[in-house]
Amino acid sequence: MALRSVSRRLGSRILNHRSFVASLHSHATSFGFQEVKEEDKSKLVGNVFTNVASSYDIMNDVMSGGLHRLWKERLVGKLSPFAGMKHLDVAGGTGDVAFRIYDAIYSVKRRALQKVDEASLEETQIYVCDINPNMLNVGKQRAAERGLRDNKSLVWVEGNAEALSFDNNSMDGYTIAFGIRNVTHIEKALAEAYRVLKRGGRFLCLELSHVDIPIFKNLYDLYSFQVIPHLGELIAGDKESYQYLVESVRRFPPQEKFASMIADAGFEKVEYENLVGGVVAIHSGIKL
Amino acid sequence: MYRTAAKRLLGGGGAFTATRLLRFPKLRSTIIPSSYTSGLCTSSVGGNAESPMGGNQSVNPNQSDHTASSSSSTSTGEGPRRDESRKPRAEFQEEQARVLSASLRHVPRLGWTEEAMMAGSRDVGVSPSIVGSFSRKEAALVEFFMDECLQLLMDKIDSGLDLQNLIPSARIAKLIRIRLEMQVPYMSKWPQALSIQAHPLNVATSFKQRAMLVDEIWHAVGDGASDLDWYVKRTILGGVYSTTEIYMLTDDSLEHRDTWAFLDDRVKDAFDLKKSIQEVFCTRHRSWSWEISSRTNEWSYADDVQKKWWYYVLKDHTFRHDSAPFLHNILS
Repeated sequence: MALRSVSRRLGSRILNHRSFVASLHSHATSFGFQEVKEEDKSKLVGNVFTNVASSYDIMNDVMSGGLHRLWKERLVGKLSPFAGMKHLDVAGGTGDVAFRIYDAIYSVKRRALQKVDEASLEETQIYVCDINPNMLNVGKQRAAERGLRDNKSLVWVEGNAEALSFDNNSMDGYTIAFGIRNVTHIEKALAEAYRVLKRGGRFLCLELSHVDIPIFKNLYDLYSFQVIPHLGELIAGDKESYQYLVESVRRFPPQEKFASMIADAGFEKVEYENLVGGVVAIHSGIKL
Repeated sequence: MYRTAAKRLLGGGGAFTATRLLRFPKLRSTIIPSSYTSGLCTSSVGGNAESPMGGNQSVNPNQSDHTASSSSSTSTGEGPRRDESRKPRAEFQEEQARVLSASLRHVPRLGWTEEAMMAGSRDVGVSPSIVGSFSRKEAALVEFFMDECLQLLMDKIDSGLDLQNLIPSARIAKLIRIRLEMQVPYMSKWPQALSIQAHPLNVATSFKQRAMLVDEIWHAVGDGASDLDWYVKRTILGGVYSTTEIYMLTDDSLEHRDTWAFLDDRVKDAFDLKKSIQEVFCTRHRSWSWEISSRTNEWSYADDVQKKWWYYVLKDHTFRHDSAPFLHNILS
């Protein structure tokens, strides 16, 4: 009923298509609240992340009050990683989600509870893909600090979410945490995700999203536009990047819209879960 | 009641569609927004069987917008497009059913666990990560099995089980036996299944499944009850079924002979209980009847009246001079 009938209502298909394309087009040419050329967007985003890479994790903690850790835990919990899985974490530069997945698979407690054979454990591959080499470097550094520098399971790859270098039907899981907002063409990223996943593979997206609750929305807006850029100035020394961040959140499609985009890419059982009243949403889908 | 109602609704679509309706009552929206609480993190209303009306509400405003703007449209595209929209959604349900069905083969070895489901998914040719999307994972497997068994039972009843020649208590015993025999291959891991069903998150569904099972059995036996009796009958049968199921867990006898003997005894007890209650409320001399039923409750009514009288006399070491009217009542 829902997804396809909503987005492909007969007769209004043309109108719908036009507005659909228009809104996507606007995402491709929007850099926060500014209008930019499509080909420039990825360069601008690249600059943002080059600038923030070193203080990315600290800023996450400060801006979300440490909540981002809980959100990522929830994401990985939903994924239910298993030994022997091939997982791709896109835009996962500093490796937060990847490390959590690694821990979930390799934790001693889990291995004791379940009958996991060592062979399948060896086959586990977690690919961390990011377009920005600075973010990847920070991630590799953190891996080294954890003693995972030479670990075969964690693979750091530089790549573009819109044109992944992985084979078709090669991944059991695909996650993208706080990254799809920065992609120029969302539907291309979704199509790539669909291509790369195996049959039965899951797509999970954690992203800042739209809040609808009346008073909370105002408080959230106030916090976003008044507090965060100044925090950015103070801690990272970069006000513009964080201004871009909060603006890009507003420009991103709302939950339902994004869910219908995921369904259009071909995914089944598309669901979303709001956390903190809509500040963050986890969208999920399965490739069948 | 469930089954006849379902059949009426579907216009005799057959047992299979009836089960589909019962098992997946709401094949509605695939977008399932969560309900937010005052807490920090909310939990999603996952799964397809529990989609709230909220899902439909959020979808409808969009639909009304589109219909308003589509007044000049044609409807030729509607038919094929609707089929195509229904197919992908149904695919996930089918895929899930296929994976769970394949997982059952691994249950005796791996238990009712995610490992069994992942092994099942590998058999079907689907990535094991699909298991992560099942709501209440292990419970999904157990509930699937319970549904399958109910369906098998219904099929067996429909395909002509000889129940006419038996008295009601024997009919019930036979049906329960057929149903419990389906669990025999999984007996080593059945305690785990019971504990999964008893988990607070899963109690509602497992209770509903058992209620349907019990209802089905009474329906097959030819129950014509109404009002309070309907509930009492099902409760008692539910109790008999559950106790037999638990007894079966520790039964080592050949072909579970002890379990079937236990079952027969419990069914007999249930019928005796019914008769005792009837005695208490229906006979003329209530006080005498109460004493009889309370002291001779392990004997059925068909037993020798003489024996009963002596038991009464000898047990109490009293020989009431007014026992003549008592005897008169029993014999009349």
